Parts: sequence; structure tokens; C-alpha cells
Amino acid sequence: MTDEIEQVMEKIYYEKLYGNWIENFALNLQNIWTENSGNDLIPTEKPKKENPKTSIVIGKGPSIKEHNHLELLAKSKFKGNIVCCDGALISTLKAGVTPDKFPNFYVVCIEARQGLKKYFDDDLVKKFGNQIKGIFSVVADPEAINIARNSGIKIHWMHALFDYEEGKKSFNQISAIMVRAKKHKNGLPGLQTGGNVGTTSWFFGWRILKSETVALIGINHGWNESDSWDMITSHGFEVEPPKLDHGSPSFNRLFPKIYNPEFECNCILDPIFLYYSNALKEFISRTPQNITTINATEGGVIFGERIHCMKFSTFLDKYSF
Amino acid sequence: MKGNFKLKDESKAISNLDSNLDESNKLIFKKSDNEKEITAEEFEEFIVKSGAAGSFMIFRSEKKESEMGIDEL
Repeated sequence: MTDEIEQVMEKIYYEKLYGNWIENFALNLQNIWTENSGNDLIPTEKPKKENPKTSIVIGKGPSIKEHNHLELLAKSKFKGNIVCCDGALISTLKAGVTPDKFPNFYVVCIEARQGLKKYFDDDLVKKFGNQIKGIFSVVADPEAINIARNSGIKIHWMHALFDYEEGKKSFNQISAIMVRAKKHKNGLPGLQTGGNVGTTSWFFGWRILKSETVALIGINHGWNESDSWDMITSHGFEVEPPKLDHGSPSFNRLFPKIYNPEFECNCILDPIFLYYSNALKEFISRTPQNITTINATEGGVIFGERIHCMKFSTFLDKYSF
Repeated sequence: MKGNFKLKDESKAISNLDSNLDESNKLIFKKSDNEKEITAEEFEEFIVKSGAAGSFMIFRSEKKESEMGIDEL
């Protein structure tokens, strides 16, 4: 069934977003030719003992507020990488998790849809932008990237993999040839997105930053029981919630409730989170043996094989040197 | 795994489906007479109705190692 759902999503993405991806790539190309590759962020020096290879990925899931994770992090002595999903950037800076205190500070943005500029349009981003390194997909929203760039964020580019498998006529392969035509002769990194920026950030943490331990906070991939049905059924987007028969068996199947035994909480999935969370959990289970993934979200649905769940405070005690 | 559903709001008692993880960490829902796992048609109908498709599709490849990323493309 998961494979069938992936096929449905593929079809829908081609219908809804493919044009956007091409258009954005065209608008970004001139800048891609003059700016940095995501591979420029690969560490060249061996990590020092006091600065171990650890990254914290920060998403905007509800548990981050519920457990005051950003405040805990701001007060900590953590010295590893901060990898912020675009939607979490402003709240992270507001909480005092800034590049002044955490100099290895990154933000990840992959999405093509318009409206992401709000994630970068803030005085705090302007204040700290020149200390933040950004990694952007070649099809990400050019308006959002411009605001990030004008705020001082140094742009690094990557390919979001989606159709590479389809060969030389695939967009991934054609766009890669176009990128290499002028600069980046060795190409750009191609990252698995797992469908969303949180999973991309996790991949970025271990594949590009070479972290052997990647911790997750705010990566719920599910809804709390206290969240409204309007929010759940629209996947949190600011759109008119779909008209669904809440009493139907189909509704039950679309929004199953999951018990997370690691954090002892219930969580409601929607179809998109089911799609995302299954992928992230699968990819975590497939990482090289030297990579450890710690889920310190304290909520959500990310648990299973090779996912070490712990409280964020415990993680900070163990990994702050 | 069966949820211990102590609900704050009984109106949210929607789907006490038995669930488990398969060999690749994916959630699978055990089928019963009344409640089966989501069908591709139901999934598609919801996505079309909601307009909330998310960001990207998941990249799949016959070369499984490529699914974990490509260093230089």
C-alpha cells in the first residue's frame, strides 16, 4: 500500500508542482552559477574533541513549544551544528538559539511553492543572516531565496532528487547538466528530501556535514489530539479545510491515531504525514552503521529500528561538552 | 502495538486501529472487517480535495544506494 501511495503522490506532484519546479529553476540558474555548492559545506578538517560531529535538526512541530526545547538549547553548552528547517528559523532565533552562541548554524529550504518568504522576512534574520549558511534546492522559491540572500545568508545549492531514475531526460539530470555548464564542474549534491524539509535536513546533517549523530527536535510528523480538525485535515496549510465525512470508515483510515510507546503519547496522522514519516523511518533504518539518529522530539510518530528516543534534556547532557 | 487511548476529547476517538512497524520501520495497520488500511483511491481523493500536497515526492531508484543521496550530480 505504501508503494501505491507513493505512486499517487508522484502523479499529484507532477500535476501540481512540476511547472513550478521548472520555472523556479530557470529563475535561480543565474545565481546558482555564481554562488556556492552545498558540497562546499562538507567539513575539511577532522572534528575536534570539543566540537564533535553532532547535529541538531530543528523542525517546527508542536512538541518544540510544549517542551521548551529551544529555550533548553539556548541555555545549553552544545557545540555541534544547528540545522534549522526554514519554517523554524525565526522562532529559533527568537528563542536565543543564534549563530552568536552556535556558530555552526545552517538553514535548509527546498520548497518551490510561493509564500516561503515569510520564513526569512524578519529583523532577526537580517541581524544574524551573515552568520547563517543556507542550503537551498535549485527549485526553491526564488523570492524566499532573495530575501535570505539580502539578509546576508550565504546561499549553497543542492538538487532535490525526485526523478533522477528516469534517465537523461529527467529534470534532475537535465538541470544538473545546465548547472555544470558554467560552474560547479563536479556538480551539486543531490539530496533525498523524503518529501519534506525536515527529512532533507536530517540527510544534510549526516551526508554533507558528516555528523555521526543527528538529533531531531520538532520533527513530529503527526498531530496532537488537541489540534483542531481543520488544521489536521488541511495539513496545517492556510487553505479551506476539505469537506470530509468525519463519521465515515474512510475518515478513520485517513487519520489514524498512533500510540508512541517511546514517549507514551498519542498522535494523529494525516495522509501526508503518513507518507513522510514512513519514508523518514525507513531511511533512518538504512543509514550506515556509524550514523546514530536520536529523536528528542518527545512526541510524534518517529520511532522504530535504529531510532534512539530520549528526552532533549538527556540528549543535551550527553552531547554538550 | 495497540494504543492506550485515554482521550482528552472523545470526539477525537477516530481510529483505534491496531498498528505495527514492518521490517523497514513503516507503519502497517492490521486489517479487520470494519476498518482496513487506507486505499490509494482514498488517499488520492483526500490529497485532491485538501490541496495540501506537501513539498516533494520521495525519490525512488532501482539502485537503492542512490535513494540515500548522490554526492555530485
